[in-house]
Amino acid sequence: MLGRFEYARPQSVDEACRLLAEGGRAAAVLAGGTDLLVDLRNGFRSPSLLVDVKRLGELQALKTRSDETVVGAAVPLNVVVENRELRKAYAGLSDAALSIATYQLRNRATVAGNLCNASPAADMAPILLVLDAELTVQNAKGTRAVPVATLFTGAKRTCLVPGDVVIDVRMPPLDGELRTAFRKQQRIRGHDLAVVNAAAAYAPSRATLRVAVGSCAPTPVLLEPFDTKGTSPQALADEVLRAAAAATAPIDDVRASAAYRRAVLPVLLRRLLADVVSGRGGGI
Amino acid sequence: MTRALSCVGKSVPRGDAVEKVTGSARYAHDLALPGMLHAALVTSPHASARIARVDVADAAALPGVRAILAGANLDVRLGLYMRDKRILARDVVRYQGEPVVAVAADTLDIAREACRRVRVEYEPTRAVFDPRDAMKSGAPLVHPDLESYAHLEGVFFPKSNTNVAHHQKIRKGDVDAAIASAEVTLEARFDNPPVQHVPMETHAAIAQALPDGRVEIWTSSQSPYTVRHLMSVVFGLPHASIRVHVPYVGGGFGGKAGLNLEPLVYVLSKAAGGRPVKFVATREQEFNTLPSRQGLHSTIEIGATRAGKIVALKATYVWDAGAYADYGVNVGRAAAYSGAGPYAVPNCSIDSFVVYTNKVYGTAYRGFGHLEVLWGIERAIDQMARKLGLDPAEFRRRNLLTVGDTTITGETFTAGHGKPVECLDAVAKAIEWGTPSTPPASSTKRRGKGIAMLHKAPAMPTSTSCSAIIKLDEDGAADILVSGVDYGQGTYTVLRQIAAEELRLPIDAVHINSDCDTAFTPYDWQTVASRFSYMGGHAVIEAAADCLRQLRFAAAQVFGVAPEKIVCENASAYPDGEPERAIPYRSLALGYVYPNGNAIGGPVIGHGRFIARGLTHLAPDTGQGRPAQFWTYGAHGVEVEVDTETGEIEILRIASAVDAGKVLNAGLARGQVIGGVVQGIGSALWEGFRFDKEGRLKNPSFVDYKIPTAKDLPREMVPILLENPQPDGPYGARGVAEHPMISVPSAIGNALYDALGIEFASLPLSPEHVIARLAEKGTKP
Amino acid sequence: MHDIELRVNGHAERASVPAGMTLLEFLRDRLALTGAKEGCGIGECGACTVLLDRTPVTACLVLAVEADGLDVRTIEGEAADGELSALQRAFVDAGAVQCGFCTPGMIMSARALLLRSPHPSDEEIVEAIAGNLCRCTGYEAILAAIRAASGTGGEP
Ligand SMILES: Cc1cc2nc3c(=O)[nH]c(=O)nc-3n(C[C@H](O)[C@H](O)[C@H](O)COP(=O)(O)OP(=O)(O)OC[C@H]3O[C@@H](n4cnc5c(N)ncnc54)[C@H](O)[C@@H]3O)c2cc1C
Ligand code: FES
Ligand code: FES
Repeated sequence: MLGRFEYARPQSVDEACRLLAEGGRAAAVLAGGTDLLVDLRNGFRSPSLLVDVKRLGELQALKTRSDETVVGAAVPLNVVVENRELRKAYAGLSDAALSIATYQLRNRATVAGNLCNASPAADMAPILLVLDAELTVQNAKGTRAVPVATLFTGAKRTCLVPGDVVIDVRMPPLDGELRTAFRKQQRIRGHDLAVVNAAAAYAPSRATLRVAVGSCAPTPVLLEPFDTKGTSPQALADEVLRAAAAATAPIDDVRASAAYRRAVLPVLLRRLLADVVSGRGGGI
Repeated sequence: MTRALSCVGKSVPRGDAVEKVTGSARYAHDLALPGMLHAALVTSPHASARIARVDVADAAALPGVRAILAGANLDVRLGLYMRDKRILARDVVRYQGEPVVAVAADTLDIAREACRRVRVEYEPTRAVFDPRDAMKSGAPLVHPDLESYAHLEGVFFPKSNTNVAHHQKIRKGDVDAAIASAEVTLEARFDNPPVQHVPMETHAAIAQALPDGRVEIWTSSQSPYTVRHLMSVVFGLPHASIRVHVPYVGGGFGGKAGLNLEPLVYVLSKAAGGRPVKFVATREQEFNTLPSRQGLHSTIEIGATRAGKIVALKATYVWDAGAYADYGVNVGRAAAYSGAGPYAVPNCSIDSFVVYTNKVYGTAYRGFGHLEVLWGIERAIDQMARKLGLDPAEFRRRNLLTVGDTTITGETFTAGHGKPVECLDAVAKAIEWGTPSTPPASSTKRRGKGIAMLHKAPAMPTSTSCSAIIKLDEDGAADILVSGVDYGQGTYTVLRQIAAEELRLPIDAVHINSDCDTAFTPYDWQTVASRFSYMGGHAVIEAAADCLRQLRFAAAQVFGVAPEKIVCENASAYPDGEPERAIPYRSLALGYVYPNGNAIGGPVIGHGRFIARGLTHLAPDTGQGRPAQFWTYGAHGVEVEVDTETGEIEILRIASAVDAGKVLNAGLARGQVIGGVVQGIGSALWEGFRFDKEGRLKNPSFVDYKIPTAKDLPREMVPILLENPQPDGPYGARGVAEHPMISVPSAIGNALYDALGIEFASLPLSPEHVIARLAEKGTKP
Repeated sequence: MHDIELRVNGHAERASVPAGMTLLEFLRDRLALTGAKEGCGIGECGACTVLLDRTPVTACLVLAVEADGLDVRTIEGEAADGELSALQRAFVDAGAVQCGFCTPGMIMSARALLLRSPHPSDEEIVEAIAGNLCRCTGYEAILAAIRAASGTGGEP
């Protein structure tokens, strides 16, 4: 048994918000449970109420239109991985999702859960940062948009408050070609958490490049956009590496030493830039 | 009369596979008894501390709690070779994860809740984590009472008032003089971290203390009779009062040998008024509380002639036993008598120290110390070859044991030992040794090839024995009863093949017990050391012969001829030359009945046995003697590709040769080789315990202790099984189960040198380790 | 306590379970379906793999209440009418079983793969079972078994 707690499966988002508001800090949203249930088993958290949002219709959306891309908060990662439209539009997003855990886990785990868990190593974070994604968040008081860029406030901490339910993750409209890619350094080829991960989105028409890095700071880090106009690939890479080094502060932990992280971060970034600049990252 | 083999050597599928693929095979994890209680443990958060106070009042008050025990409640000491351990820590804790308090309750949840309510006050004391530090004078003593511990005298030599649990010496010739006068010398150091076996089934045991003093145990163990014997010794119970059942076991690899959880569940059952008590280790406890493979620090010196002949080898092996000696002392012993590799070494000196530290303790793990020792030896041999300007394969060829050589313990190497050099040549050929690798696709990658030898003998008492019973059924089929455990390696299938061959029965008519029960299955020491097919094979052959004798005797009477004139073939018996008169076994199995109703003979039950022959204790000061029933030799050849930017190593191909003597079942042998190689790759590339400064294990779960997955396989694996017969082995066979794992890291390390020009001395060869060494060298691609 | 109704291997089951009970505990302790094993309890090893509405999940990280109304398939449902499925047969014949502790989970992952992709590529096979740890076999024979069962139909 994973502990003593109550379980509720609300019929509507409103009901979910109400239950969560009543429960306050002692209540937790349950999506795929692949983070939350592990925390319960290990005794890291002991909420008294789990509010299961997986079957709420609003959280099942999956839209990939050029004007709007929406991934519902209860959509399992495998659905993201296998969606062809998504892959065509955002290869980096599909690759990031595919890099997470195992096939079995991805049938449960969600994009929203990955973000809300706010691990510094969360694999969906860098790609959603570079895509300027926003979460639609609802609570008893109403609905608001929370940019992923403002979500993380510390290791395992977000700006969400008790009572909030993430409804979906939205990508802004695509205007023109966008090339995205994701890379992850792990200890073993089998399932592993990232030692370092990073994502890039390159819009050739606007000559902008966005890069985000994970596992090298208390939160995933989005670098300031890079203007690629008139910059040689080499100069661009140097600039990205400099910015990444300045914005991160890798630490030693059981997964890797700070030194190793510092050594592979530039490698990962160079390869990532090759992916998007050479077009391997796909696009529309 | 020699006849073609009909069953031995064939790839007969496992007899238990159907039960296993349908989920109906029962493991200790799956068993439940009426009235059974569930146990949980409070373990120590400190690596070294005095237990100041244990307060269980709150826990005891919890409804559903049936028994709570702490070390103070229990007097006994346990230990396989050295009685140094308690069921629950008493007065002091010696490693983080050591059991301190145990609770049995109606449900696992209640037991765990009770554990959370137990309050233990500790006073941390000075700890020692590196066995080299532990050997220095002034080091804190992990066992100040070492002197008073009972141990196996004459075999193990603990040193009072030190942390040395055992010192094994091997002395041959005059090593110092030989090194001093050697034309070329080399000295190198190597390290192995402690690792875990990671059987997919964690340890589990159930015990019931019966009112009349008997005990019944169900356990995921490799050693039903050793469990029974040690339970008897520890608790002073007659052997017959202890009944040990071993159902299917979900992997062991050595970690389930000896005595583990059985005493714990027994004392809990006693304390709970005789209700059965079950304990299943969590994965974290499997890493942190149950034993592991000990770490090793090696120092190796080699002297050679310029012509490439080894003249001397001197080695010091310092084993990180952890808090208790368990199997570790015997690993230190075995690895010493194998500690110069499969080479002819005229002057040799080895000191193997098994040293207590404040870490989770060590035990047997597939390879029994040889993977660790040969990590150093086989890397040092490569280095020496380069110093001599010789091809590493050629240097090995010049020094491998050949007929007439003496081993470092004074044994003469004979043709019956197999052919190490053939193993070397086979893997060299398979990886196109001598031809440089084709260039990698990317300029930041490097490729290289490496070769390493392996050898190992079963480490077992000189009087190790086993037995088998074969009963014929009403339908003429045979039932084999043995107490060796098939925890996956396939021995039961091999024994069925042997019995089928000997009894002239089709394989489908030979059955074997799928679980062991010391009340019914006959004695076997324990299932370790890759000796079950060898010794069990002999016992089955003898048991089959006993059955045949009984069948022939009855048939001889029926046909009115001498028993020697009876031929047994095709599940029937007939007078020589008259197969048309054959009587099927089923008409003889329970006794033959004449048409008039008279009966002769009786149920056919054969029994066979085997005892190790000619083994001696090793002389305490020189290690000379005969420690091994047989030796198995082998080699690996590997080609790797290294990403010099990330440090990742990909194994392009690995060829692994083992001289099996005779392959009894090709499919199973291949499975052992592939499985062993992949486990060896785990040890080579990723696996290893990481401790923090306080001696707490930082990676006690699959999140941070990574074992190979299906994504981590080499691109190509080539198992090669050679058949140079073992004259005294069943059908010429020798053990092969452990061997494929040994020296996989060495071969990879050697290939890594070839690829990068860097000498790696410690394991694992993780991406991080590779990058750190590349950075040191300043090689930026 | 929560009242749940679900189908397990085609049989309707109704039960009252505490919220904290995992699907794995429910199957093993309540229904005595001990084929699915616990190797870690945290989603890392795959020994507990079962199918939930035809997709594989690690039953140690699913609450029993979450399976309410859903269809669960375990290894015990694989040999329909006591006949080994082609997939099970392939595991036996390829020598893909050693200690067997990972086998039920491994077969369920493979079953789900064949359901969604009757002729899987090697890459798909590896991806499908990479979440099932096996310490004994080195995986090679398991990959061979699944390859051999490819095309034997999505259903057992
Ligand atoms: C074996 C294993 C391997 C893993 N490997 C990886 C990996 O490689 N990379 C990686 O990044 N992660 C990995 N994880 C972590 C985890 O699987 C992912 O973070 C996953 O995406 C979490 O999603 P979930 O739906 O399961 O979240 P849950 O566990 O359900 O929830 C996680 C957190 O988010 C909150 N939450 C979830 N949904 C909402 C919502 N709609 N509104 C508000 N709050 C919400 C929950 O309350 C909880 O705090 C792994 C986990 C396991 C067990
Ligand atoms: S027990 Fe569920 S994944 Fe290991
Ligand atoms: S067969 Fe033992 S773990 Fe796979």
